[in-house]
Amino acid sequence: MAKKENKNSFESSLKRLETIVASLEQGEVSLEDSLKMFEEGIQLSKECLHTLSRAELKVKQLTKDLNGKFQLTDFEEQ
Amino acid sequence: MENVDTSTHREKILSVTDITRQIKGVLELGFPNILVQGEISNFKLHTSGHLYFTLKDEGSQISAVMWRSRANQLLFKPTDGMKIIARGNISVYEPRGSYQLDCIQIQPVGVGELQQAYERLKQKLFDEGLFDDEHKKPLPEFPMRIGIITSPTGAAIRDIISVLSRRMPAVEVTLVPVKVQGIGAAEEIAEAINDLNDLKSVDVIIIGRGGGSLEDLWAFNEEIVARAVFRSRIPVVSAVGHEIDYSISDFVADLRAPTPSAAAELVVKHKNELIELIRNFCYTMSSSMENSINSHRQTIETLVHSYSFNRPQDLLRQRSQGVDELTRRLEQSVTHYVQLTRQNLQSLSMRIESLNPRLVLKRGYTIVRQNGVAVSSVMHLQENKEADIEFSDGQSKVTIDHKIVFNDGKKRK
Repeated sequence: MAKKENKNSFESSLKRLETIVASLEQGEVSLEDSLKMFEEGIQLSKECLHTLSRAELKVKQLTKDLNGKFQLTDFEEQ
Repeated sequence: MENVDTSTHREKILSVTDITRQIKGVLELGFPNILVQGEISNFKLHTSGHLYFTLKDEGSQISAVMWRSRANQLLFKPTDGMKIIARGNISVYEPRGSYQLDCIQIQPVGVGELQQAYERLKQKLFDEGLFDDEHKKPLPEFPMRIGIITSPTGAAIRDIISVLSRRMPAVEVTLVPVKVQGIGAAEEIAEAINDLNDLKSVDVIIIGRGGGSLEDLWAFNEEIVARAVFRSRIPVVSAVGHEIDYSISDFVADLRAPTPSAAAELVVKHKNELIELIRNFCYTMSSSMENSINSHRQTIETLVHSYSFNRPQDLLRQRSQGVDELTRRLEQSVTHYVQLTRQNLQSLSMRIESLNPRLVLKRGYTIVRQNGVAVSSVMHLQENKEADIEFSDGQSKVTIDHKIVFNDGKKRK
């Protein structure tokens, strides 16, 4: 069965990071809030950089069996 | 007459209907869903809407039929002499004992016919608005899950994997293996698009194949693919490997890439670009934070030195000055009071002093007392009684002989 993962966490992290950077840059946040956002932003950037550091491309193959059930297997180039 | 044959051979006799049914069973079950290539002849469009024709080649021929419901979906007009590939089943028409090819789908083989079909579909979908910009979905900025619909053995998948490995190995690729050419390819591609939409497990879909002739690329010019691309809620990039000509799927897709490699490059950013972006974010956050802290520090410093902030202290100083002032005034007034009191006292004591009867006695006056009471009038003096006379320096006891009262009542010496 194909794993259902409806969220792209990397993209949402990066978007959140973008928002934080913009808010901090505008400087309209209270010092306390901006410190919190700063911490969150640094954490997000660490996570994103960690994701990006993955070196090997994962390729899966999606097939359907006769009953219409999905199967996800590792794809090997032929 | 004896029916010798029957008794001698003991073989089963079939009716015409029986044998026809048996043939029907064998033929219809024996040739399901076959593809037949040939040239159309004796083409007839019946008033009922069904198509009747003969499919032939150098050696043979077969009757063919296409029912109205399917014939209505054809985007080209079959004509005599046209080469086609037909998909269908063999069916037997019992009343006449004939078999025919029951066509489900017909695809022209000649380039001219394909071109014609292409132009018609393009015009039709254009008229329907399937190519309109307003339907184009923006591609995700940072897709991490890429769906690819292509042949598992073609150059396209190899090229895409190679580009993704180089640019952005952190992404996850889901390949849906499909046939990309020949009859049925379009259906598989369309189904794969629908499946990926059902699973919702990818951020963007690339459909495509390496280059080829118009016939090779035909699946991407079929309506079923165009409709599936149009319906897809996940953005679709069409990458059918021919740089110059556009396939129908190119027009409907949210983005068109000239080749599968180009599609991969368009879909993902280079990881170094993203790393750089994140580093810039970090730098911006840090410097913003630093600025913010500095500006707050400055504000605090300004406040510390500001009139308002120092005002309480000022007030305190003022108050304490006031207290000092009051104290001084208090001291002053006390001193003054004391002085005043002292002066009063002095003047009082002087006045008291001046009133001291003894001072009068010193001047020669005396006080006469009778029975201990000072007698201030001769009238009160009792005769023949003792009286005390007090002098300033002593007293004597006298007896009052007589007394003379002055007529005018005035005292005389």
